[in-house]
Amino acid sequence: MNALRITWRVTRLNFRAQLEYRAEFLLNVAIGAIWQVSVIVFATVLLARFTGMGGWDSSEVLLIPATRMLAHGLFVLLLGRVHFIGRQIQEGRIDIYLMRPMPVHRQVQLSYFPTNALGDLTVAAGLMVGALSRSELDWSAGRISYLVAAVVGGMLLEAALFTALACASLRFPAADYWSRWLEELLGTFGSYPLNVLPRAVGGFLTYALPLAFVAYLPAAVLTGHGHDTGVPYWLAASAPLVGVLAYLGSRLLWRWSLRHYTGVNG
Amino acid sequence: MAALSAWRVARVTPLGELNAPPRMTGVALRLLVQVVLVASLWHGLYSHTGTTAGLGESQAVTYAVLAVLASRLRELDQFAGRDTVIQHMHFGTIVYWYLRPLPPQRYYALRALGEQVYGFAWALGGYLICLAAGVVEPPGSAAVTGVFLLSLLLGQWVLHYIMLATDQWCFWALRNNSAILIIIFAQNLLSGVYAPLWFFPDWFVTMSSFLPFQATLNVPLSIYIGRIPLSDAAGQLAVQAGWVVVLALFTRFLWRRAALRVVSQGG
Repeated sequence: MNALRITWRVTRLNFRAQLEYRAEFLLNVAIGAIWQVSVIVFATVLLARFTGMGGWDSSEVLLIPATRMLAHGLFVLLLGRVHFIGRQIQEGRIDIYLMRPMPVHRQVQLSYFPTNALGDLTVAAGLMVGALSRSELDWSAGRISYLVAAVVGGMLLEAALFTALACASLRFPAADYWSRWLEELLGTFGSYPLNVLPRAVGGFLTYALPLAFVAYLPAAVLTGHGHDTGVPYWLAASAPLVGVLAYLGSRLLWRWSLRHYTGVNG
Repeated sequence: MAALSAWRVARVTPLGELNAPPRMTGVALRLLVQVVLVASLWHGLYSHTGTTAGLGESQAVTYAVLAVLASRLRELDQFAGRDTVIQHMHFGTIVYWYLRPLPPQRYYALRALGEQVYGFAWALGGYLICLAAGVVEPPGSAAVTGVFLLSLLLGQWVLHYIMLATDQWCFWALRNNSAILIIIFAQNLLSGVYAPLWFFPDWFVTMSSFLPFQATLNVPLSIYIGRIPLSDAAGQLAVQAGWVVVLALFTRFLWRRAALRVVSQGG
């Protein structure tokens, strides 16, 4: 309870701190929205020029970026500061966090308020409403529950990937470079059916770098394409659970990495 | 002597890069994976489609892969060396740029030039490998190659001024994180990194023709793949040169105004 109260108070302070630079605050909200719009633009252009992408119709394809973007917006809002751990390591801030009576991970998450998440979530929610209204599926309670689970699972999976990179940054600060790439990959290749790609490349994005579990596989299950993904149906359907397990695993990795963190002073 | 100091300034960021093997490995692997993914995507999309928006499969793949390679030209990490304008503004060390015998605008330009040359080496290496592997098509003729190289030079010049103006924004707003992200977005979208501009609706292509971003990448790449014929290239090169002049004057003006805002030790 005490931890929750502290978290709430720090978050309020961080929000007020963001308001100190008004132009930057507004630009931050805008950038969240604009970044998400870029995903929509990319998907829309592809859909307009290449109809019937991978055997999916456009309303089904839209469900993929909508799920991914909503998951991403929640990730940015709740866990996104893990993104900047590399910089905090370079600036020696992790060493300061280690001296304080609060878990390092929580301090990282409370380091600033993610204003851009406001724009992210607004656009993502808009796209999700648009995707659901165009969808011809029967949105039963079960389907809606699965969609909610998929969004949460996608958020946790994205958090797991960035947490794993943060662990690498504790050992090699330059590994921070990879997080920008990962974000780019998620934005570009996480927003349409991966079955348009060659099987080997699709396999890479499923098993090596599990982007497919963020939105593609849950959307495939929801739209009835679950048997055409090249992945066992039970695994595709378990995508939300994969997110939960991946995040738990990444947090264990974080704990282990932090125990072995030496910092610049040895 | 001036050449020696210029050389020393220009090589700072590349040297930092060469001393960070994980980052270099990252660049190589990232380029490789990105090229494979992008080429696979466009081949996959074209598997059931012929020519669309005036682009055939090999043209679209070549365009997309070259866009990936070109986007690596200015990817070095100045942040690790604490030498970005935003960091200097944050820590108050921007004043040192004005106390050195080297003017800040020249220092900035030399650093950018060093990054550009280093990035070009990466892009060229990647291009040669892609060409040998048959991922990209060679240019149509020697004349196309020459015009493409000139257009690429002008395009990178325009991009340099855009990035400079973004950094100069710090002198007024103190922070430019969001401005940089917006510029990156605009650059990627309006220059054709996300998808060749030819795929976009006509109104979008018309709108982007009034902005400098399409001059950075879309023009040289379109010349390379033959989507812009050589007969139309002169006009496009003139537009690029026009943007270079306009942005050069604009950023020069901003440097002057910025110098008036730099305060040392409280004034």
